[in-house]
Amino acid sequence: MIEQYTITTTPKYNFPQTTIDTALPQRFLELSLHTLKQVQNQTLQLNQQTIQQTFNNTNNQETLITQQLVPPTQPIPLNPKPEPPTTIAAVDTSSIKLGETSKGIIIAVRGTTIWKKAKNYAYLRIGPFIFHITEENLQEVYRTLLKAYFPEQNPQASPSFLQIPMRMANLLEKWLQASLAKTMKDSLILFDGSLTAGTADTPTQQLKEILAAARSNGNTVLAFTKVTTLRFNGCLITEAFPAHKPPCLIEVTNIKPKPPLTLLGEVYVAKLARGNYAFRLDIDRELPTQKRIEAVERLLGNDLMMHGYPETLRLAHILCTFTANEVIAMQHFIQQRYRLKIIERPDMHRLLFGPFGKGEDHHEVV
Amino acid sequence: MRLYKKEGNIIQILSFPNENVEKGDYLLIEDAEAQKALIAQVIDVQFANIPGVLEELLRSLPDGGGLIQGEDIDPLEIAPHITYIQDSRLLICKIRATVEGEILSPSTSWLPSRSQSSVRKLPIATLLKLAKVNGNLPITLGVTKENSLLTIDASSLDGRLNIITGKKETGKSHLSKLLITSLLQYKAVVVVLDLNGEYTGLGLTSDGKRNAYYNKIHVLTPAQNFKVALKQLHLNVILNILIHALHLPGTSAREFRRIWQYLKDKGCLTLHELGEAIRNWNCNQNVRDALFSRYHALVNSGFFTDNVAEANLLEECLFKAREEGGAVIINLRNTSPIDRQIVVEYVLGKLVELLTSWRLKAVFLFAEEAHLYLRETYWDDIVTRMRHFGIFTTFITNQPDTIRENIYRQADNIFLFNFTNEHDLEVVSRAARVDAETVKSIARDLPPHHCLALGKVVRDFPIVVKVRALDVKTMGETRLFFTGSRAEGVSQAFPTASGSFGENS
Repeated sequence: MIEQYTITTTPKYNFPQTTIDTALPQRFLELSLHTLKQVQNQTLQLNQQTIQQTFNNTNNQETLITQQLVPPTQPIPLNPKPEPPTTIAAVDTSSIKLGETSKGIIIAVRGTTIWKKAKNYAYLRIGPFIFHITEENLQEVYRTLLKAYFPEQNPQASPSFLQIPMRMANLLEKWLQASLAKTMKDSLILFDGSLTAGTADTPTQQLKEILAAARSNGNTVLAFTKVTTLRFNGCLITEAFPAHKPPCLIEVTNIKPKPPLTLLGEVYVAKLARGNYAFRLDIDRELPTQKRIEAVERLLGNDLMMHGYPETLRLAHILCTFTANEVIAMQHFIQQRYRLKIIERPDMHRLLFGPFGKGEDHHEVV
Repeated sequence: MRLYKKEGNIIQILSFPNENVEKGDYLLIEDAEAQKALIAQVIDVQFANIPGVLEELLRSLPDGGGLIQGEDIDPLEIAPHITYIQDSRLLICKIRATVEGEILSPSTSWLPSRSQSSVRKLPIATLLKLAKVNGNLPITLGVTKENSLLTIDASSLDGRLNIITGKKETGKSHLSKLLITSLLQYKAVVVVLDLNGEYTGLGLTSDGKRNAYYNKIHVLTPAQNFKVALKQLHLNVILNILIHALHLPGTSAREFRRIWQYLKDKGCLTLHELGEAIRNWNCNQNVRDALFSRYHALVNSGFFTDNVAEANLLEECLFKAREEGGAVIINLRNTSPIDRQIVVEYVLGKLVELLTSWRLKAVFLFAEEAHLYLRETYWDDIVTRMRHFGIFTTFITNQPDTIRENIYRQADNIFLFNFTNEHDLEVVSRAARVDAETVKSIARDLPPHHCLALGKVVRDFPIVVKVRALDVKTMGETRLFFTGSRAEGVSQAFPTASGSFGENS
């Protein structure tokens, strides 16, 4: 049983509505403090190669490439529509491993929502939440958080140590997405990643509910994937149509994902600016085709496009990413508050391979 | 504070925002295991090169450069830690000495432990105690940044070459007045070559009353109460005046020597007789013309007299000062450049004469803007030859490049006021007793009336001091146009203009 703390999150939010269920961030904080309490006076080995993870479901796409894609007929030309003025909102989260203790790892998670109204950007940044994850508390922490936001969902196998930072960030991201879907009106909501559901990260029901909530408020969800592995005739879909003049959409049809994966969005290749930059774009498939295209046109008319990528989403990513200074500050915080003694174990990669050491990416996955 | 890096005799220390350290402060880096400590002085404070700071600054600026409005929900309160790290500073320090027990040594050949050393601020008072900057003849210069008194020993000025320099209106003359009056307390003989008549009020308080030094201050104004009879002049002195101040060529100088000898033998060394002798002397016409032009220069200066009764006041003043101490102020305020050189040649010649004959023991010479009256060859004389006679010079200037480089090299003490000009700082930084980085970095940020004391007076530990106030009458003030009734008149003539400024401000 996790004890209750008197500390609460700041009740003041910048959202237009106050009907958000704040149980998840509340739980995040409680669990953060709880897990950190267990870490007092231990030794801390700082992360030797800082790996930052922003949530995306690239891995899920691997299962989609085996499907034969039908060649598109014609690109859909787009006309930027600044009218009616539309609020653009975006969500992103990131996680980072701060170091290792003798019993586990210390990670930090942070999420950002950002919205653009008229010419002004505003943001709400939640976190960082710092957790001490051990073999003992890994399951408890993850399940408690999952339960807090998604009580009906059956917890699947708990993530491994390697996966936990991303899973935690994913939980926060889903909560932020749901909050936006429930509170925004007649807006465009941008997600980082795709609308593929049915994974451990993104249960189908969970994503369906988010999309439904968005639709009921007149919002349209657009999910941008920066790096896709979907291919057409052996060529990445984002590189397959160099001749089509931007701004345009190329519809990618007949993707049949392997169960339990489900596509909750229509998949397009979006070429929104000159310079041959193309992204996979998933748009809520429950919306009529015309409304989906109109949503992209409203996005073009109401947001800046940097290399064909919406500025709002770019800022969401930038604002949630941890800088090196912030990592040092968080390490300073846990060291000061919880009297962790920093130790310097030799970096085996550097030790063995010198400048050829490749870092944690090449660690053996257990 | 943590020891971060050492390169040469520069040490870098990481400092955090709650540690209040500024340029000029001293730090003690103690290595308990080695039982030694380094004394280092902060010469620059920089932001620590924290990774990610640039990203943080950039990400708060979207296209267009305005700040993004936003709210951070930071339940663990990490933000203060971020600020703490962001604002951490790197102290660039110069190693000054090593302390072992109570003993100071200039050695910097060892390196304290980076992980085990403790770094803390060393109070200036403790440093002064360690360095034994005090002595039997204390002169309180002022207060340090920590409000402790900086007291130097008068004997550290004795036999030394000193320079007081800094840009205009930073307090150079004030410090030299302080040094002069302090030396007077110890019965020193002081001669001041006062270019602007600034020192003539040394014997008076700021409200015009007589102060403790009144009877020790002797103001001599050339051609007024300071005249010389030819009879009392040494041939060498007058020849120096003619050659160096009046640029008399060698051939003419030889003729002059003969004329002088002739008049002396006749016992009629007067201005009138000298003029007549030149007129009637059997010599080349060009030589005669050359001698005549110099003769008229001497006469026109008003500095020479045939009346012995009104002459030779300098010697008299110096002898008076010899007993109880005193300052002879040579007021050169209304003296033309040529006459100034004549007077200075005479004064220096006379001093050398008195010192070589041991009628005077030693003299502290204060020379303001010496380049305006000191001949080229005297610079070397002052730092080499005259020091051995007992003339201990203090140069005061706001144009440091007018003092030759070898003077800086041999200066024992430098009192450096604010300079912002790179060129000026470059010149001063050639001084042998201090490194260029210290001079350039600290002097640039000195507020008015604060000086960086360098050299023997502070045992080579550069210390910033706020020069204490002195109750003497300020003289030689800059004459202003907008003062008194004229300024009032202007404001009355344009009442709306001044009114609107008032509102705006």
